[in-house]
This record gives sequence, C-alpha cells and structure tokens, in this order.
Amino acid sequence: MTTTQSHRVQTHEPILELNDVSVTFSMDRGDSRVVDEVTLDIERNEVLGIVGESGSGKSMLASALLDAVVEPGTVSGEITFNPQDEPSVSVLALSKGDRQRFRWEQIAMVFQGAMSSFNPVRTIRTHFVETLSAHDEDIETGMERAAGILEDLYLDPERVLDSYPHELSGGMKQRALIALSLVLEPEVLVMDEPTAALDLLMQRSIIGLLEEIKTQYDLTIVFITHDLPLVADIADRVAVLYAFEIAELGPTEEILSEPAHPYTRLLLKSTPNLQAPIESMQPVDGAAPDPVNVPDGCSFHPRCPLADETCRASDPDPAAVSARHTADCHHYEAAPGAIPIEPPEMDEIQRTPSHHDAADEPLLSLDELEVHFETEQKGLGLFSDPETVNAVDGVSLDIYENDVVVLVGESGCGKTTLGKAAIGLQEPTGGAVQYRGQDIYGDGSDVDATDRFTADEIRRALQIVHQDPGSSLNPHHRISAILEAPLKQWYDDLDGNDRQSRILGLLEHVGMTPADDYIDRYPHQLSGGEQQRVALIRAMLLNPELILADEPISALDVSLRVEMMDLLIQLQETFNTSYLFVSHDLSNARYIAEKTGGRIGVVYLGELVEIGPPEQIIHDPQHPYTRALRWATPQLTYRDDRAQTPPIRTIDIPDPTDPPSGCRYHTRCPQARAVCAESVPETKPGSDAVGHDVACYRVQDDHDYWEDDPIDDADLD
Amino acid sequence: MTDRDHRETLTDALDGTCTDGGTPTPFETVSQVTETREDKFRNVYDTYVRAPLSIVWGDWRARIGFAIILCYLLMGTVGTVVIEPTAPAEGPALAQPFETMDYPLGTTDMGRDLFSQVVHSTQEMLKMITAGALFSVTLGTVVGAVAGYKGGWVDTVLSAITDVFINIPGFPLVMVLVAIFEMGENPYMIGILLSVASWSGLARAIRSQVLTLRHESFVESARTMGLPTHVIVSKEIVPPLLPYIVINLTNAARRVIFEAAALYYLGILPFEDLNWGVTLQLAYEAEAHARPQALHWFLVPMAAITGISIGLILLGQSLDRVFNPRVRARHEKTTADDDTLEATTH
Repeated sequence: MTTTQSHRVQTHEPILELNDVSVTFSMDRGDSRVVDEVTLDIERNEVLGIVGESGSGKSMLASALLDAVVEPGTVSGEITFNPQDEPSVSVLALSKGDRQRFRWEQIAMVFQGAMSSFNPVRTIRTHFVETLSAHDEDIETGMERAAGILEDLYLDPERVLDSYPHELSGGMKQRALIALSLVLEPEVLVMDEPTAALDLLMQRSIIGLLEEIKTQYDLTIVFITHDLPLVADIADRVAVLYAFEIAELGPTEEILSEPAHPYTRLLLKSTPNLQAPIESMQPVDGAAPDPVNVPDGCSFHPRCPLADETCRASDPDPAAVSARHTADCHHYEAAPGAIPIEPPEMDEIQRTPSHHDAADEPLLSLDELEVHFETEQKGLGLFSDPETVNAVDGVSLDIYENDVVVLVGESGCGKTTLGKAAIGLQEPTGGAVQYRGQDIYGDGSDVDATDRFTADEIRRALQIVHQDPGSSLNPHHRISAILEAPLKQWYDDLDGNDRQSRILGLLEHVGMTPADDYIDRYPHQLSGGEQQRVALIRAMLLNPELILADEPISALDVSLRVEMMDLLIQLQETFNTSYLFVSHDLSNARYIAEKTGGRIGVVYLGELVEIGPPEQIIHDPQHPYTRALRWATPQLTYRDDRAQTPPIRTIDIPDPTDPPSGCRYHTRCPQARAVCAESVPETKPGSDAVGHDVACYRVQDDHDYWEDDPIDDADLD
Repeated sequence: MTDRDHRETLTDALDGTCTDGGTPTPFETVSQVTETREDKFRNVYDTYVRAPLSIVWGDWRARIGFAIILCYLLMGTVGTVVIEPTAPAEGPALAQPFETMDYPLGTTDMGRDLFSQVVHSTQEMLKMITAGALFSVTLGTVVGAVAGYKGGWVDTVLSAITDVFINIPGFPLVMVLVAIFEMGENPYMIGILLSVASWSGLARAIRSQVLTLRHESFVESARTMGLPTHVIVSKEIVPPLLPYIVINLTNAARRVIFEAAALYYLGILPFEDLNWGVTLQLAYEAEAHARPQALHWFLVPMAAITGISIGLILLGQSLDRVFNPRVRARHEKTTADDDTLEATTH
C-alpha cells in the first residue's frame, strides 16, 4: 500500500507513532508479509481496539510495537515512542540492553492465555520479584506497588502472591497477569486477546476493571481482539485489520453506527448479537487471503460486492470519512448505501416454535440426572473422604423430535458433562436418561421386548460434534477414510464405490467443491470451517436422531459463525434431527434457538436454572443469573452506560467441590434473601410462554421469600 | 488412464442421481459402478505400498538404511546358496583381509574363511531378529494400548503383569531359561526368549501415550459412532503412535542382535554352526585381541553387527516420515497434480 495520506490525527498528542511498519517472514513458498506497511498513531491515554479475524496480522502488529517479533520474522519501518517530547525513542533502533529496559518500563504486554504465561512451579510472588529485579527496581517498594495493583483488581494480595498458578482460577490468573504487566508502571499496555479464554461474566468484569485501571494508572491501552462487540465496550477508537493492513480506523461510535469500509459493514452484519433481528445477520462470503499471495489492488476486492476495475487495479489510500475516521476504500461513500446494516423492513415473521404438547413422547428424556466426579484425594487420603464435584445435579429435561435445546453457561458449570451424559458418553451417578422411553444406560429390560431398541440402535441415534474441529478428526487419516469409517461399520451393503459417491455427494451438499479433491486431503489441509463441516457430515452419516453440538462454532472466526450455524440449521431441516447445543455465548444461542424455534437452557453449577423460548430468555429473563449473562454479553451498539456496575456480587465462581447451600447462585445473586441460602427453589413456570421454567423464588409471587431480609455481603464470608 | 475414467464414471453417476431427482438427499447416494476386486487391490496398493515407498525414497537415510538391510537380506538368502560353507583348514591360517580373493575377509587360525562365516550366520541372525523384534513390539503395543484405552480392571491387571516383567532382570532370566529349555537349535525361539522381558518397557510407554490420546475428541467420536474397541485401538489410537513404535521395533531388533552375540560370546547359548557371537568368542579364546596379525578375526564379526545395527537405525528414523501426515500429503499432492495435468491435456 502506498501511503500518501495516513491514519493520522493532527490535533492529538500521540504516544506511539508507526510509520510504514511491516513484518515479513521468509518461507519456502515466498515472502509472507503478515503486517503490511501500517501507518498509525496511538494517542496518549486512549484505548485503541484492534479488531481482525484470525490470521489478519493483529498479534504480529502487537509484537512489533515492542519489537518482539519472533525469529525469523523481521520488522521494517519506523516506530517512535513519545514522538513529541524528549526523549523520543525509536523502538526498532534500540540496542539489546535498551530494548530490554524499554519493554515493560514503557510498554508492557499482556499475552493471550494466562494459563501458560506463569511458570507452574513458582509462586505468583516469585514472578513479581523476578520482573522487578530484572529491571533493577527496589524489590520492597515494587512489591508494595504490586499489592496495591492487585487490590485494585479486586484480588487479595496476600493470598494471590503466595499461591501457585494452578491454585488460581482463570480469571484470577488473568488479573494477576495484568498486575504483573503494570508493576513497572509502563505508559502503554498492549493486550493480545486478554479475555479470549475467559467466560462472559469474567470478560465483562475485566473490561470494566480495565477502564478503572486506565484512569488510575494513566495508561494508554492497545486492545487486540477478534471480537468486535467486546471491543465496542471499552475502546475509544477502533482499527479494523483486514489482510494485514488497516481497513478502517475511527472512533468506536462511528465504526459501529456508520462504518464506511465494506468489510467492516459485512463484519458487523455477520456478528451474532442480542438486538438485531436474526434475518439481518449474513455471513461474509469467501475467505481471508494467504499472506504469501495477497490479491493485487484492494486486498478485499475478491469478497467485496462493490469491487470494480479500480479496486482490482490500485490499492486504495486511507480516505477521510470524517475528521477522525478513515477508510481504505475507493467506494467509501457508496458503501453505506450498497450494504445496509439496518435490517430491511419486513413483517414480523411468524416462526413456528417447535410446539410440543405434554402428550408428545419425548425423544430423549433426562430425569433428575446427576453426574458426580470424585477428585483425587489430597495427601495420603487415608483419613479424609474424597472430594466430589457435582458436575451435573438433578437436571430434568425433555427433548422432542426436531427439537433444539441450547445450553448456556460459564465454563465449568457442567453443561458439556450434561450433554455427554445425555447422549450416553458419560455414565451418570444418579437419575436416568431415556431414549423413547428406554434407559440408555440400562440393558433394555425396562421396556417390552417388542419396543426394545438394541444398544447399537441407541448408539447410532445419539451423535456428537465437538468444539475443536482440529482434534475431532484423526490427523493421520484422509477425509475419505474418516468419512468411510461410519459407513463401513453400519452399511454392509455398500461397496467402496458406493461409499465414495455418497461421501462426494455429501461434501458437495455442504459446499466443499470440488469434492473429489477434498476426499484425498488430510485434516490439516482443511480450514477450521471445512474441518467442522467434515465432522458434521460424519455425525450425519449415521442418520442420528439427536446430535450433541458441543460449542461447534466457538473455534471458528466471527465472520464464519453465522454461515456454520445456518448450515447446522439447514441440515437439521433436511434430516429431521434434534440438536442439543452447548454454548457459552448468549448471542449464538439466541441465533440458533430463534431461527429453529428452539429453547435456551441456562446452566449454573450443574443445575438448570432457567429454560424457555429465546424471546423470554433474552428479552424477559426471570432468573437473576440469566440477567447477569445477558448483561455480560457484549453488544454491538455504543453504550453510554459502559461503566455500569455488574448485576452480580462477586465475579468469581464458587468452588465446585463445595457448592453453596440452598440456591447455588445466592452467593453471587444481588437479590438473594435469607431463604435462598437455606433451601433450593423448585422449578416453576416463569411466564405464560410454553416451556418457560425458572428455578427461583422470585417467580413465585406468594412465596415467603418476599418477606425475608436481603443477604448482605458480610453474611457470605 | 483407468483411474481417471473410473472417477469420471463416478461423477457421472453422482450427477445422474442428483439431477434426475431420483434420490433427493445425498445421504442415499449409491454408486452405479460396482467396485471390482481390481479396484480394491489398486486402492490398497496405492495407500500402503506406492505412497510410503515414494516418501521413503526421498530421504538419504532411508536409501542407505534400505541398501544396508537389503545387503544383509541377500546374504541371508542368496548368499547361503552361492557362498560355500567353510570347513577347518580349507585355507592358510590367519590370512589377512583382502590378501587373496579366495578369502576376502581373511581366515581364522584354523584356516576357516571369515567371509563365509559372516554370510552363513546371517540367516539365523535375521530369523532371531525378526522373531524377537516382532514379538516384543507386538506384545508391548497391544498390552499398552489395550490397558491404556480400556482402563479399569483391565488396566490394573495388564499393568501389574507389565510391572512384574519390568522388574525381572532380563539378561539373567534369559540365561536361566536357555539352560532350562534347551532350544538352542531354533533361532525363532531364541529371538523370542531374548525379548521375553523387553516388551514391558514399551508397553508402559505406549500405555501412558494412549492415556492422553483416549481423551482426544476423535477417539470420543469413534466411540460415539459405535465402532468396536479393536477398530478404535487399531485405527484411531495406534496410527499416531506408529513413529514411536517403529523406532522401538528397530531398537528391539538391535537389542536382539547384541544380546544374542553376547550370549554366544559367553558360551551360554549352545551352538552347532558358527555365527557372529561364536566367532567373537573363538577369537577371544585364541587371544586375537593381543595378536595384531589376528585382529581382523575380531573386527569382521564386529563390523557385521555394527553394520546391521546402523542400517536398522537409519531405516527406523526415516520411516518416521512415512507416518507424518504432512509429509505424506506433500508427496501425494505431487502425484495428484500430475493426474490433473494429464486430465486437462487429454
């Protein structure tokens, strides 16, 4: 890109100035340019969000800011720190010793995955002391400062500092990592997907904390993420990366409400969220380019509906959309008209909710299902009872034919275990799972011999699609072998040619053409979306009645999610299967449930606390936990109430080996009263809607709950 | 190109079913061409013979390793027919190597041809190696994989047995067993005997690898599809472990050679014919190590042992590549590209 104009803002004071910064890797296939001549100013005390799909070069850009690109990558261009004041620092020209001091003292970085950023055999304190002594700081004052930062992040410094990493939860580790990066009082904090491994509630809470930390410690934050809604909550400005360069840069509000670049517009439309009607969510066609082979001209033109000869021939320069808003597009003026973000006016589409009478026989029926795990005994374990984790506790749920149930909850709440117990992969410790009236873990003696299903029939009827498509396909087999395995097992009458034509037909059906090229490939030669399609076909080949889809889209890029969900829904309609969906994301849950007329079930610490149609769960949640989840789900609109206090008491989940008494949510529930700590609320209808059930005293107008005193925080300690 | 014709027919058949509207869902598609035995054979040949060979051939270690092992195989089969067995006093005592072409590797102090000794002991050694290596690796893999995958009481029992064997001192046990069973004549039995204690280490290692593999999603998927245990273990669990197993196979083979040579050298295994270990022992008894003119008597059997050992190591290392899907893919892609080229020019 030949930059004459640049993504610069004249009136503000920049703290970092990037000039034509490129990162290049030499590979067998040619030079791979993973950051392509980026020119950008980062202003003092702003939060700059950098958004891009995986493989768009955003992490490399972050590493380049610290001159920390790993070998054999090379950084070229110019990065100036503090360009207006003395002493200004040219980052790429620093000597080794200077660079070491510059990192962490001026710019600190918080890496993705707090789990692997700490050495597991050292306490958190050691990490702090090491960082301080490596920079010749006074340990004592440094540790005092560390304790102060930890406290500001709502952590107990004494406890956290003396813990080993494994003793802290993911969210606590992530906060400790932020504290560690702040201990040398840097001016700029670069955060690379700092919340990607965390739950929604924790994510939102940390975003809120960042806001406080930023003002308190006078920071400039560069926040890198693939999640556009998330960054909308914190960033002052957003830079959208596409194909290793900045496609659009502007204030968050403008980027969200009137983006000018076609890519940003399409990306916004493809992002599932809670407000927009689901009809307006459309996938972005095509795929992001390979770094070795970026298209000539505008790199987005192969996927752009507005592309013409100019776009193919010349690379657009940043065009000023407004004073602080630039877009690298020849047609930025035409884009808003051509790609409307507002949903087209349409009549309220009457979706037929999968209406199930009590008379219908459920396909699968869970009855007071319990799965308890015994953990390893501590010490010698001779005198103590082993601790049990109640992963699933007393869940009852009916799934009908052509039904869709989406389970939502934080990680570790037992939603996946519940799903696996339902399809016969995890033997429950209590309760029963019945497939058309027959216990799937029994020997079939509970039903008449005439109606009995064989173990094989039940096995085939209940299938699974895993979260990580990379590990759900054996890397040592070709696609043809992977898809042939179920056919060989269950269809004796098919010979090799029949199997091959069926596989070819299926691959074409899910849009993988030319199919006979795909069948000879190994899984590593497919993209994540294609791998997931193969895994989906494999489950479908058995013609199952119910598929457990365990977060099937969370490993995919944002722009691919809607497409994959549409495919799942389309296959459901074609093959009359039911889905049991597991998701940690309320927006995705809503998309699936609303489009199929299914239900959303909210799981908290092994219990189903609320279940109902998406309209009720999203727009009129009854359980306080559902409300907290809804609060935590990032929105695509610019919110003025960003610093709003969370509707929960504590952001950390209680220890699952020692779950709270009574209603398990009472320790975090702002509306908890005395009775909540004593007895477990039974499930009652939450509204007039069919199938909306809530396990909370608040839906029972005549319950003693209303006379009780609210619990205050002191009671809980 | 029958292969391509075959593909075209397939696609035609597929198009037919789709466009005619006979079967609306691709889940019911069947081919209109019946698979012949020839097709099946060609598929098997392509996957299991041609592709691995083409990969192996691209690696210099593999070429050298293959060449070395092939030499030994030829010695053990053709060599025994072509080269006459040696008898005492057939040549001059302690002829030096390369002195005369009648006795290229020299002779012993009894005038026996060393080259002929090496060639004639190869066959027996190869039998021992094959039997011993296959026995220990098969048993170790099966026990380890089943114990790791099944878990529960199966694991407890198999692991207990494995632990017992790990703790038996292998070499003394073999000495005792040989004394008891007197099976000196059968090389296969000797090979197995020599490996009787060595499979257990592999079983333990495989078990711990399987313990991590069994939680992979693809294994769970296979279980969900209702595949029987033996299919899951052999098709899903073992392939990722194959590089490790093959390295162990070659190492087991080397261990059998060393142990056999050692036992013969110590005079524990009874022998009728000369072989590498026995030659070493005779050389030692004749104090060849102290007599410069007899040094080759030592060196020749040692070189034979070292040579096959190096060959096995090189082969084992290069076979690693065969099981790497990324390397395989690259090789198959080149052949696939040729095909498309042909198709377009056609």
